This record gives sequence, structure tokens and C-alpha cells, in this order.
Amino acid sequence: MTYLSKKMIACDEASFLISLREDSRLGFRNWLQLKIHLLRCHLCRKYASQIGQLSNTMEIYREESIHGANMQHLSPETGARIGSRISRELNPK
Amino acid sequence: MPEENKHILEPHRWVERYGDYLFNYAIVRVNDREIAEDLVQDTFLAGLKSRDGFRGDSSERTWLTSILKRKIIDTYRKKYTSKESSFSEIEPTTLDGDFYKGEEPMRGHWLEGKGPNSNSFLPEGELEQAELMEYIRRCIENLKPQLAAAFIMKMIDDEDSETICKELGITASNLWVILHRARLKMRDCLEKKWLN
Repeated sequence: MTYLSKKMIACDEASFLISLREDSRLGFRNWLQLKIHLLRCHLCRKYASQIGQLSNTMEIYREESIHGANMQHLSPETGARIGSRISRELNPK
Repeated sequence: MPEENKHILEPHRWVERYGDYLFNYAIVRVNDREIAEDLVQDTFLAGLKSRDGFRGDSSERTWLTSILKRKIIDTYRKKYTSKESSFSEIEPTTLDGDFYKGEEPMRGHWLEGKGPNSNSFLPEGELEQAELMEYIRRCIENLKPQLAAAFIMKMIDDEDSETICKELGITASNLWVILHRARLKMRDCLEKKWLN
């Protein structure tokens, strides 16, 4: 086994580094290991692309869930229950 | 902030003004309607108790949201620091047996059919936003709760890693592995939704 092949990482480590680089800056060694792995692994290249897409999609999800057309509503019963609880707290007998 | 620009609290209008907003904020993060409703109620009641401390520098909504956020983190913490469902049950290895081969000489390589099919997990052509949102929600629901908590704090709340580790009582290395596993599963789940 050559020195280089000993230093090569498998797909599990490569995909871990792909995730890690979304959250922090990779050190030089990890960056290089990932770069080399991606040159030879088409599945991990696809994975890297999808993980970038996942981050973008989650941003849309965050916005949509609060401001989008798919907002959910408190049920009228729950709204009324909470409202009367607040009234009781504001105007205790 | 000048006195005339300060925000004031009007608790009798909270449900009407912020009920749905806070409910949506909560349900995205806890994925449970009943828990989300309780969190909204607890937030309003906590707001009432601490209203003397409201200085008016932020809007009512921002102030209430910060209370709700705290309550959501408390919910995560209570849930995932118990013996029954702890972060320590997540193996601290990158080698997730659901996705990678465990035996030499192919150890760590993608299992057959478990790698990505293309550069995108979305189908080609027009996509209904509502459909995508629903699939994301379902895929988050399918995550182990511990993975979901860290993933939501990172990807939806945009919290920094230090804060997440502190709030959930985990180390940075734990967090990296947890996020890696959550992303693996989310990607896989989303791709399969369209293929199916």
C-alpha cells in the first residue's frame, strides 16, 4: 500500500467532512483529503452537491414556515382557552 | 431609545396578534401540535409574569419569541438529557451502518443503492412549494429526536455550534457527528420521497 493510499479517506469520512465544512472551516489536511476523494468519487461529488442544496432548502423552509402560505393556525378552541387564561391572569378575582 | 418610540405590551391582544406566529415557530421546531400549543400558552404566561421587566426596546413579538425560544430549548434539554433518550446513544463514528459498508476491504464505501442518485434531491421541473415543505417536515419527523434537535437548532435557528453544544450539553465532536448523520438521513429521505 502506498503512502498516498494510506492517507486516502473512504466515503463515510468524506461525507462527514462535507457536512463539517458547512459549519466550520476545514483544516488544510482535511481539506486536501476531501479534495482528493472528490476527484475520484462521483457519489460523494453528488452528495456534496445535495448537502449544499439541503442548506438552501432549509433556509426556504425556515422562511416559509413563518411567513409562507402554508402557515398553520392555532385551533379556535386553543386560542380561546389561552385567551381566557391570560384574562384570568390579568384580572384576578 | 426615546420614550415615544418604545414598544408597549398589550397582553389582551397577544393571542389574536401573535398566537399563530408563535404556534408556527414552535411546531416547526418540536413537530408536535399539542406540545406546540402548550409552548405558546406557557410563553404567554411567562410573558405576563415577567412583563415588568419589558423595557420596550424590542417589539412585543420579538420579546415573546425570545421567551418561546428559551422554552423550546428547555423542552429539548428535558427530553434528551434523560436516561431513556440521551445523546450518548448516538455512536460517535462517521460509519453509519445504514449507509456505508462495514467490512474490509470496502469499509466506509457507500452501500449499494444508498448513495445519491444525482446532484439534486429534487425532481426535475416545476415543484410545488407546499409539497416540498411538507416533505421536509416529514423527513425531520423521521429523524431520531436527538438528531432533529441539533439539526433544527443549526439549520432552522441558525445557532452557532458553541451555543448548541452548551444548550444540549454535548461536545463539539458529538455535534459534528450528529449533524453529519442528520444530513445523511435528510438527504436520503428527501431523494426517496420523489423517487417513490
